[in-house]
Amino acid sequence: MRSYGQKLAVADLSLKIPAGQLFALLGPNGAGKTTTIKMLVGLLQPSSGSVRVCGHDMVRQTREASRVVGFVPDEVYLYEKLSGREFLEFIADLHGLNRRDAAARIGSQIDAFELAQFVDDRSETYSHGMKQRLALAAALLHDPAVLVLDEPMVGLDPRSMRLVKNLLQRRTAAGMTVFMSTHSLSLAEEIADLIGVVDGGRLMFLGTLAELRGQAAHGHNSLEELYLALTESEEERRSKSSAIPSPAP
Amino acid sequence: MSAVGASIDVAAALQAQGGELLSPEREAQVFWSLRRRLLQASLRRLFRTARLRAMLVMFLSVVFWGALYFLFYSGFDLLAGLYPSAVESLYNAFFASLMVMLLFSSGIIMYTNLYRSPEAAFLLTTPARPDRIFSYLFQEAIWFSSWGFLLLGSPMLVAAGVVVGAPWHYYALMLPFMLAFLYIPAALGAILCLLIVDRLGRIRWATVRWVAAAAIAGLLWLGWSVLNGGQSDLLTPRWFQELSARLSFTENRLLPSWWLSAGLLEAVRRPMAGVFDDHPLSESIKYLALLISNALLFHQLAVWFAGRVYRGSFSRMQTEQETRRRTKIGIFDRLLLSRFGGTGRPPSQLRLLLVKELRLFRRDPVQWSQSLIFFGLLALYFFNIRRFSYNPTYSAMIGFLNLGVVGLILSTFTTRFIFPMLSLEGRRFWILSLLPVSRDTIVWTKFFFAAGGSLLPCCGLMLLSGAMLDISWRILLVHQISCAALCLGLSGIAVGLGAKMPELREQNPSKIAAGFGGTLNLVLSAVYIVVIVMLTAVPYHFYLMSIHGLAPAQSERMTRLLGNPTAISAGIALTIVVGLTATFWPLRIGLRAFRRMDL
Repeated sequence: MRSYGQKLAVADLSLKIPAGQLFALLGPNGAGKTTTIKMLVGLLQPSSGSVRVCGHDMVRQTREASRVVGFVPDEVYLYEKLSGREFLEFIADLHGLNRRDAAARIGSQIDAFELAQFVDDRSETYSHGMKQRLALAAALLHDPAVLVLDEPMVGLDPRSMRLVKNLLQRRTAAGMTVFMSTHSLSLAEEIADLIGVVDGGRLMFLGTLAELRGQAAHGHNSLEELYLALTESEEERRSKSSAIPSPAP
Repeated sequence: MSAVGASIDVAAALQAQGGELLSPEREAQVFWSLRRRLLQASLRRLFRTARLRAMLVMFLSVVFWGALYFLFYSGFDLLAGLYPSAVESLYNAFFASLMVMLLFSSGIIMYTNLYRSPEAAFLLTTPARPDRIFSYLFQEAIWFSSWGFLLLGSPMLVAAGVVVGAPWHYYALMLPFMLAFLYIPAALGAILCLLIVDRLGRIRWATVRWVAAAAIAGLLWLGWSVLNGGQSDLLTPRWFQELSARLSFTENRLLPSWWLSAGLLEAVRRPMAGVFDDHPLSESIKYLALLISNALLFHQLAVWFAGRVYRGSFSRMQTEQETRRRTKIGIFDRLLLSRFGGTGRPPSQLRLLLVKELRLFRRDPVQWSQSLIFFGLLALYFFNIRRFSYNPTYSAMIGFLNLGVVGLILSTFTTRFIFPMLSLEGRRFWILSLLPVSRDTIVWTKFFFAAGGSLLPCCGLMLLSGAMLDISWRILLVHQISCAALCLGLSGIAVGLGAKMPELREQNPSKIAAGFGGTLNLVLSAVYIVVIVMLTAVPYHFYLMSIHGLAPAQSERMTRLLGNPTAISAGIALTIVVGLTATFWPLRIGLRAFRRMDL
């Protein structure tokens, strides 16, 4: 549970993500997705309950847990006076990679994310998409066991999106666990193995795409309709039911 | 809402292929290397793209330093003739007040660096230790809170040394003394910041407010007690004795400011002839060692404390939600929107934007609390001026001195709060760009906000100063004209430079103010203040000296040339011309640059 003053941002959230799965957390604005992600990367500590990553408790063993996590936030932070390469070198240093290993991995990330054209420019000149790609490269530099992404596709062009989707699928196939928050139903449908729907800080659904589809088949025409029903507020529900005319006696 | 425990468990099939967790020493190396790279990149960029600007700032800084040196030299020279032991009291009072200011400024800067900066949030997601992150951000706070101290303190100390003919080692020890001293209030400010944020969630806001009110009241009482009670003529040995007695609390042996003062005074002293065991240099080094050891201790304490509480307090800070407040339309907003807007007419864009600025100011306690403290202390000082009895020449000159002080305080505000205003709009420009508001209107709004906000308190303070000094209405009028020129000119310089050289990507106002544009603004403002004050103070000084028969024989020609009503009128006319030029010239440059800027 994580509260913001009197308001509970995340409550009743019990999640267990198996290894090698691509998990997509869906939910409307203010549902608690970013709070959940911040708890997962050690920025927020739960008021009660626990957050464990690869067996490490995020509160008690933050450094050990952070070592196995790669993280790309919704608003990427880069040192604007540094070039992309210098930033990657700093991240490699922080993760204790030796110089030879770091150079090789930086080279392969530059290739994988097609950064070569701008990686030696200062990052203050980068577009949003360039920054996003560099942040992804930095998050994967130390080959983390778990990759956490907050709205990873925002600001990416279709080619970059495809690149990232392919990469995420390849990495999960190789055993990496991906925890991703998104607003996009179609993205979750396309690449997620496991889907969670959160609203008002509570988990409304957790299951595979097939299970979600199965639920949609019962009374809902599409996944979108099911998603809207799951995240509908109490007020909306009441106003809908009062709008239905009662049968004549 | 019922509270149900939540648990998140993410498993992994892979072992992370990264290296080992870094040792503290290796981690320190990594962060030092980052600091070095950032500094190199900034310097490279500066000398490649803004060489002329950098040279200008450096040149003006040297001029500013030289002017301060000259002022301090004259002051110490006068003091050495009148009352030599007052130097010690002056040092103690200066460093004690500086210590308090550094404590607060580093506390505020550390709050922004640790809890509000995106860099801190980024670093906390890496495997870096929280105490290392704190150390790294603390270095930055040290620089941002102390560069003013170095710029102001060094000419003062050099001037004091030159006046008494200090030995070479005094100058060599000056910088180590200042740096060691800086660390103590800065580290204490950081500890205070961590402590307040860590405990804030557990104590009531009302308690915080009462403690803050008590601290301000204590500060005001201290100011009152220092200024109150003196009855002697100004600048006489008796006056200095009374002042020293009132400042005796700054001589407490437990204060680091006293160690600094005592160490510097020992370094300046030559061994007494005939006294075998008098070693002032050794004594001075003893105080330096005391300062360094305490600086290290407090730094270690701050780092240790940060290691324990930083991560937890960061989490609490992010989730601590203020009690939801109903936003009300303030009285000034209503005045701006209705009465001056005319009935039935929609308020103009400029007024609407002004209301926005007023709301932002009211809701930013850092801005209004600092304004309140500084202008409050000034008002207190002006209220107490009457305690001293002066001859008429002195009272007029003290009035001009007060004008300079008001200007200097205003310039720190325009540098810290007005200069960064346009830069801070950087990430919100898309909102303003979508509105049918011209860029000129945005710049003009900032100017009207700054000028309007400064005219009222500054001119009010100068009226108070004049009333307390019992000066003639003519001089009072001249003070008002000069004060208005200062308010308009300083606002024009800050807004114009802010528009000409904005830092649109930076969101931390302290960093914007401490950058090259901010430094240039501060230096230009200081030069402008000196010019405006001198334009009328110099002819008035000679005029009053001549009518009271106090003019020394050697300056007879000067007195004849400047000490007459024509020179005074010319000074006033020049004040108006320089004031208008300083207001509209930078604004014109800023407006032109801002219109052409690719946002």
